[in-house]
Amino acid sequence: MALTNAVTLSGVSKSYGKHRAVENLDLRVPERSVYGFIGPNGSGKTTILRMILRIIHPDEGAIEVMGRTSTRAANDQIGYLPEERGLYKKMTVQRLLLYYAKLKQTPKAEAKQQIDRWLQRIGLLDWRSKKIETLSKGMAQKVQFIATVISRPKLVILDEPFSGLDPVNLNVIREAIVSLRKEGTTVILSTHDMEMAERMCDSIFMIYQGKKVLNGTLQSIQQRYGEDTIRMSVDGDKRKAAALTGVEDWRDFGQYQEIRFSGDAQALLRQLANTVRLKSFAVTKPSLHDIFVRIASPQKPAANE
Amino acid sequence: MNKIITIASTEYVNALRSKAFLIGLLAMPLMVGLMIIVPQLTKDKVDLSDRKFAIVDFSGWLGAVIVQQAEERNKTGVFSNEDDERTKRRQAQPRFLPELIALENATWEDHVLQLSNRVRDKEIFAFVLIGGTVPDRGDEGRIAYHTQTPTFQALPSWLERIINQEVRRIRFEREGLDSQLIQEITRQVNVERLGLASQSESGEIQEAKRENQIATFAIPAVSMLLLFMMVMSSTPALLNSVLEEKMQKIIEVLLSSVTPFQLMMGKLLATVSVAATLSALYLGALTWVAGNRGFLELIPLPLFFWFFFFLILAILIFGSMFLAIGSTCNEIQDAQSLMVPAMLLVMIPVMTWLPILQSPTGSFARWMSLFPPATPMLMMLRMAIPPGLPWWEILLGVGVAIGFTLLTVTSAAKIFRIGVLSQGQTPSFGRMLQWLLSK
Repeated sequence: MALTNAVTLSGVSKSYGKHRAVENLDLRVPERSVYGFIGPNGSGKTTILRMILRIIHPDEGAIEVMGRTSTRAANDQIGYLPEERGLYKKMTVQRLLLYYAKLKQTPKAEAKQQIDRWLQRIGLLDWRSKKIETLSKGMAQKVQFIATVISRPKLVILDEPFSGLDPVNLNVIREAIVSLRKEGTTVILSTHDMEMAERMCDSIFMIYQGKKVLNGTLQSIQQRYGEDTIRMSVDGDKRKAAALTGVEDWRDFGQYQEIRFSGDAQALLRQLANTVRLKSFAVTKPSLHDIFVRIASPQKPAANE
Repeated sequence: MNKIITIASTEYVNALRSKAFLIGLLAMPLMVGLMIIVPQLTKDKVDLSDRKFAIVDFSGWLGAVIVQQAEERNKTGVFSNEDDERTKRRQAQPRFLPELIALENATWEDHVLQLSNRVRDKEIFAFVLIGGTVPDRGDEGRIAYHTQTPTFQALPSWLERIINQEVRRIRFEREGLDSQLIQEITRQVNVERLGLASQSESGEIQEAKRENQIATFAIPAVSMLLLFMMVMSSTPALLNSVLEEKMQKIIEVLLSSVTPFQLMMGKLLATVSVAATLSALYLGALTWVAGNRGFLELIPLPLFFWFFFFLILAILIFGSMFLAIGSTCNEIQDAQSLMVPAMLLVMIPVMTWLPILQSPTGSFARWMSLFPPATPMLMMLRMAIPPGLPWWEILLGVGVAIGFTLLTVTSAAKIFRIGVLSQGQTPSFGRMLQWLLSK
């Protein structure tokens, strides 16, 4: 059975004055998937998210969310976690969550049930009667996450959901996202955490200077770049490797070094063996982080899909 | 509509549960109560220490009169007039103790210098010099009072009264006139202040009633000032509310669930409800007091309806303005300068209400009450002044107020829609106008 799309953008453009924030964008986010939105700061990610939420409207093109094009009715089926947290400091956790659920038209009894369930699951049940201002940053982050999913939305948009979380709480939220997907929720995950995007997303979409520069599964994106990366560790002068023929980029991560190269890996291996003392050597695909940096570094030309 | 009610009810409950509401609720009766009670409690807290004063009498006769009058006053005039047995002889005023100074060929200036030193040394409180030719005019007939404490008015006022009384008597005698007769001839005539008489259909004549200060001044003044206080105490808070939501990025979460219009209307509805609740409590208390004091029949019942009607419109008008301003701002400093013009508009009724109270049907009153931002409060004032306004004026005022309310709310909604999402732009009225005129 063909998957239907939770979100479809067709030829969408948006400008702020003379600044073109999004240009002629086509995108399809299939239902029941985790779709990663990546891109440097100011590339147009938040504008796209706001347009999907109908907080702002595109100058050109059409946006379809949960099968609806023009009304805001679909918004009750969308949960949104903004990058900067938006919680009323003077409200208690329970009252705030109930308020946000009511704004999504969730019946009170169901909302209360969901609040208990999520507070229990996230480990905040004892804090339900406490005011938001008494919570730590991580706790507030978790409350914001519950507020996003409390009305059992079909589409969840998460803008940097992991920022400010310690590894334990990060795992809690990550597991919650995975379970949402299992329950059939579509998740749009906007993040700068490339490793998390690699691990969690079915598909990745990258926007740069208002234009789509990457879109597809991680495998298909990496495929496009080929196996052009060598991960190695050496003894002696590591920098000698940077000067070898075919090396386009060399980076030292302390424990290991990464080389981006063009040409034959075997020839490069022979050159390396003659120059430095190799401890390990592996030809790999570029990571999402590398691809991101290659596209978004100011001196590098933008890649095209 | 459901979402508007959800926002309104949540904000309403939040407001009612806040300390600010409780403080606001108690602040006005507390202030009014203190203004009444404190003067009552302190009215008898007079400094009763004796006031010694010296008299240098160049006239040779007036000083003795003052001494005699002071003795008389000290015997009877300084005690409380209350009938209560316990307080009957309680001293309520300080005694005045005169001391006649021997002239000893010293000049006026010598006496002034000498006695000034005695005042500085706290031997006496003040001194008075009486010219030689009193009661005649001219330099020689002058009377001078010297003190280091000019704020104490009781002594110079008493001296002035006693001296004038005596001087008048002497002048009448010189002219051969009977001072008792003169007093009777120049007695003040009181003018009674009455309303109008009327005749019922059965021909029965209703006599004109004595003018009632409460109906004429107190009820209109309280109606308008309460309306003003409600607007002042509730609408500027809307600016802070939207600014806080913007600064704390709550607005984005809210707008993912509701439209800017729903958000704005929810906030306005909550503010109207809070102001109506406060007003109902105040009016209930005032009505109870009026009932206890027997003034209830002086309050026309329709006034209650008109009060709440104009309250709703005034809150919608000024609430929209403050919401629109708040939506364009990014920090408190931006808001402070932009809210001044809106505050001035709120203040217009309190700047113009006194002449309107004097002449509620004059052209100034009429035109001022048709200036839309002032219409709700000034129409309320004019309608509360007996005998009220003709129906066509009420209709015109209501029409102007409703029309302006609709215009303000729709204009504010347009600015609010764009403003709440604007970031990093310096807010200005020019920008607001630009947003207002944008498609």
